[in-house]
This record gives sequence, C-alpha cells and structure tokens, in this order.
Amino acid sequence: MSAGTSTVELTGVSKRYGRTRALAGVDIAFDRGVTGLLGPNGAGKTTLLRIVATSIGADSGEVRLLGRDPHRSHADVTAVRRELGYLPQELGYPSDMTAFGFVEYVAVLKEWNDREARSQEVRRVLDAAGLADQASLRISRLSGGQRRRVGLAQALLGDPRLVVLDEPTTGLDPAQRADLRRTLSALGHRSTVLLSTHQTEDVAALCERVVVLAGGTVRFDGAVTDLVATAVGQVWLADEPGDDALVSWRTGTGRHHVVGGVRPVGADLAEPTLEDAYLLMLGPDAQRVHTPS
Amino acid sequence: MSSLSMPASGIAGHRAMAVIEARRMARHPVFVLGVALGFVLLGLYVVLVDDKTGIPVALTLPLLGAFYIGLTSVIAAARLTRSTEVAVEAVATAPGTEARRTLGLAAAGIPPFLAGLVFSGALVVAVKEIGVAPQEWWFGTLPDWQVWSIVLLCPVACLDGALLGVLTGRWLRFRGAPAMVVVALIVVTLLGQAPLLETSSSEWRLWVPWAIFHTGDNADGTQTLIAGNPAAYLCYLLALGALAVLGAMWHDRTARTPRFRTLVAAVVAAALALFVLAATTGNHDNRVSDPIPSRATS
Repeated sequence: MSAGTSTVELTGVSKRYGRTRALAGVDIAFDRGVTGLLGPNGAGKTTLLRIVATSIGADSGEVRLLGRDPHRSHADVTAVRRELGYLPQELGYPSDMTAFGFVEYVAVLKEWNDREARSQEVRRVLDAAGLADQASLRISRLSGGQRRRVGLAQALLGDPRLVVLDEPTTGLDPAQRADLRRTLSALGHRSTVLLSTHQTEDVAALCERVVVLAGGTVRFDGAVTDLVATAVGQVWLADEPGDDALVSWRTGTGRHHVVGGVRPVGADLAEPTLEDAYLLMLGPDAQRVHTPS
Repeated sequence: MSSLSMPASGIAGHRAMAVIEARRMARHPVFVLGVALGFVLLGLYVVLVDDKTGIPVALTLPLLGAFYIGLTSVIAAARLTRSTEVAVEAVATAPGTEARRTLGLAAAGIPPFLAGLVFSGALVVAVKEIGVAPQEWWFGTLPDWQVWSIVLLCPVACLDGALLGVLTGRWLRFRGAPAMVVVALIVVTLLGQAPLLETSSSEWRLWVPWAIFHTGDNADGTQTLIAGNPAAYLCYLLALGALAVLGAMWHDRTARTPRFRTLVAAVVAAALALFVLAATTGNHDNRVSDPIPSRATS
C-alpha cells in the first residue's frame, strides 16, 4: 500500500437496487482504528459495508481497498480478501457444523492450510469471541448471541487488516458487549475496523470516529465528541415533556429527558449523549451534511 | 500485518476442504441411513433366502447398494451443498472461489464410494463363502473382468449419486429439489432401459446412469445377461460423475475460463466415446444361461 493511502477509500460511490437509491455519491475514507457507522434503517449502512467487504460492487464511483481496486481483476480482489474479515448482518450457518467446525471451514477458505496452525488459530479466535467452552457444540444448539459470536470469530481469523462488522452486537447481553468492545478496541490498534450498529452507546464507548448515514448520503463524518458537541444546549431534564421537543421520554427518576425544541419551563440543562446528538442530527431540521473542519 | 502467517492456497488447501466435506458426508444422517439399509438388506437377503444352490442372482445385488447408498447420497450431498451456501455472504468474501468450494464438496463422494466398495466386497465374500449355482452368471461362467466390472458398478454409482447431489445443490435451490432429482433419476433409469432390455438393441440402453446387466431369474430358471461392455460402461459412469462436478463448478461464472470450457468439452467427448464403446464392444447380444432347475416357475 502506497504512503498516504487510506485503508479504505470510496470516491463518488453510488448503488441502486432497482428504483431504490441505497448510496448516492459517497466520498469517504477509513484508516486504522474503530469507526462506527450509524443511521436509520434503509440509510445505506449495510450496502456500504458490503461494498467494502467486496460482497457486492458499486454501480459507480471508485473503491480502493488496501491500496487495490477490487473490481480490476480477480487477483486484486483475492489479495484484498486475504486481509479482510467480514461479519454480515445476516449470517446463516450449516446446521450440522460445530462452532469449531464452521470457523475451521472458513479458515480453510482463508488459506490456513497447515492443520496444526489452523486449529490453533481457530481456538484463538473462538477464545477471543468468548466461545472457548462452546467450540464443540453444534451451532444449531447455540443461542442467538453465541451464533453471532461464531460469526465474529470467523471474521477475526488471521488478524485481518480490514475488519467489517455489520451489527456485531445484535443479540449480545451487556457483559458480552463489554467483551466485544474489549476485543475490538485491541483490534483497532492494528487494523481498520468498521462497524455498523443501532446501539449508539457501543459507538460512544468504542469508536473515535463516527459516520452518520441517511438516505444514502453521509450526514456526519468526524469525531464522536464533535457529534456530541452539536447537541450541547439542546438537551434537558424537565418535570414535564416538551411540547415541541424532537423526542422526549420519562426516565427512571421520574423526570423527562427532552431532546430538541424550546427549553421547557423549569428544565435543567443535561449533558447530551451520542444518541441525543444522533436524534438531533437526523431530526426534521438536520438537512445538511456536517463535517467538522 | 499480524505476525500470524497466512500460507498460500494449493493442494494442501483442497485436501483440507476435502477432508471437511468427506467427514460431513460420512456423518450425514440420510447417508448413514442409506448405508445401514443397504447392508441390512444385503445381510437379510444372504441369510434368509432359502436356496440350496447358493446365493441367487448374485450379479443383481450390486444394484441394491447402488439404490440405497447411491440415492440417499444424492439427497445428502445436495443438502451439504445447500447448507454451506447459507453462509455464502461470509464465505464468498474469503479468498477461495465458489468453484473451489464445489471441488471440495466433490470429496463428499468419497464416503459413498467407500461404502459401495465395502458393500461389493461383502457381496463377493458372502458368495465365496456360501456359493452360487453352477449356472449362475458369476465368476466361472463369465470372464472375471466382466464380473468385476458389474460388481464395481455399485461403488461408482454411489460416488456418482453424491456428485449428482452436489450438482443438484448448486443449481436447484427450491425445497424438495433433491427428492425430485431422485425420482427423476429412477424414472429415467427405468424408462430409458426397460423397453430395450429384451430386444436386439439392448446395448443402447447403456446411456442411462444406472443400467442393469442382469435381469434376475427368468420364469424358466435361466438368467439373462444383457448386452454391452460393463468395463467401458463403468468408465462412462465415471465420466458422467466428472461432468456432474464440472456442471456444478459451472455455476460459478468466474470459473468459466477458456481452459475450463475446453475441459468440459473434452469430458463430454470422452463420455460419448465411452458410451459408444460400451454399446458396441463386449457382449453383442443378450446371453441366456443354462437353466437352474430349482428356480424354474413355469
């Protein structure tokens, strides 16, 4: 990879599914570290991740992964895939395979041909995914969260330079999510990790950078702290819900968490969360792209 | 880049994948059921058939193994093929191509082939121990190469069943496709040869994937050996199996290189040549054995 080239570079990338525009002229680049991808359903997150994971091609624009154009030749896409780990949003499993067997199968596809080294690597990633004790169980007997972690384990094979995770925390309990954050945090020191999630707290806890997608375009691309900063002064705790608030809800303390709109009478200013900033970003008034200088 | 090395693909990779798929096939419940049924029925036949002259119509018994092991292998291999592809979004972004995965799946034919081989071996041993009537079409009344060829049709048919299953799994994605293919196979095999068996053109039945060479006992106690060259037919079946694998690999568009197309054409040509060889060499006409008096029913 040439100096100054990002791990992932998308320039003017568009993708359509029939009449539906999934991505429209996306310009974005990713480098080492963990980047969170947020957006409502249908925003284009999965499409973006699938293009980066070489699962599908873009209709137009330029895609460069690890310094290569994956559309140029079979050799280029194979070279990219040798350093890629991908957890799709929906991953099926052969019902007759154990967790170890499935990850081993993927390891063979990823060219781990030495049996001893392969077994060792499979055990390593299963351990990293918290499945050391479930390795010999059939996947059909695992819980939804455990199956998701099998998918994560196969994505971690070989410590890939580029890791693409589509909703990796789905079905995980809080302790498992904490484990996953630990794993991905360590991975982010040496790899480029892209993860999409609906859980803003995962992004807040784990990612230095966040990209907000909506309607196939990038609405925000920058530091998590910068996105949160956009919500300062627009979040309150009040005794009554705000009449023109973007959204409000009654918290466990009995007070109402109010986001957006006019400050309710008697309300106290609250420290905004990433979720608040995200909601404000995608509210009816957030119409333009915001990129910090 | 991680300090963990990542070896390049090659023979070792194919071998690793073949071992995985062969193991999955060997454990597949449908395949295990077919093997169990085949051996149990063979055992019951050998033990229970009451014939003082020995095991009757021994040369038809490879069909038993081909039926139970071969047909269940179609279903099992098709399911294995489909089951791996449920994870296609993850496995398709690994370096290997679909064609490479298909080649690995072809190794699922190894357990059925071995099971068929053991079945044929058990048959030969049983006949050697118990014996056959001196008029039976078997070793002694036929050249050894013809008997071995017919006996070995069992393992080859079992292998081809699995390879047909891989082809089915690659191309037919609807529920019930494997069962439909099994039924179609039986119908084609029956209708493709039954009208020709008793005619002077019986050797042309050999285009069907599971042709019989022995009709069983006739009403007058004789047995009919159907015309054709069983050794060439055996090779024809192997060519059909190869075509099944190539047809399954064809599903991957990236595999359709000029070299691959040439290979397909060559195997098609070989299959045609072997079919013609099977039909035009060996026994030119049906042969009828001497009657076995105890078997005559008319």
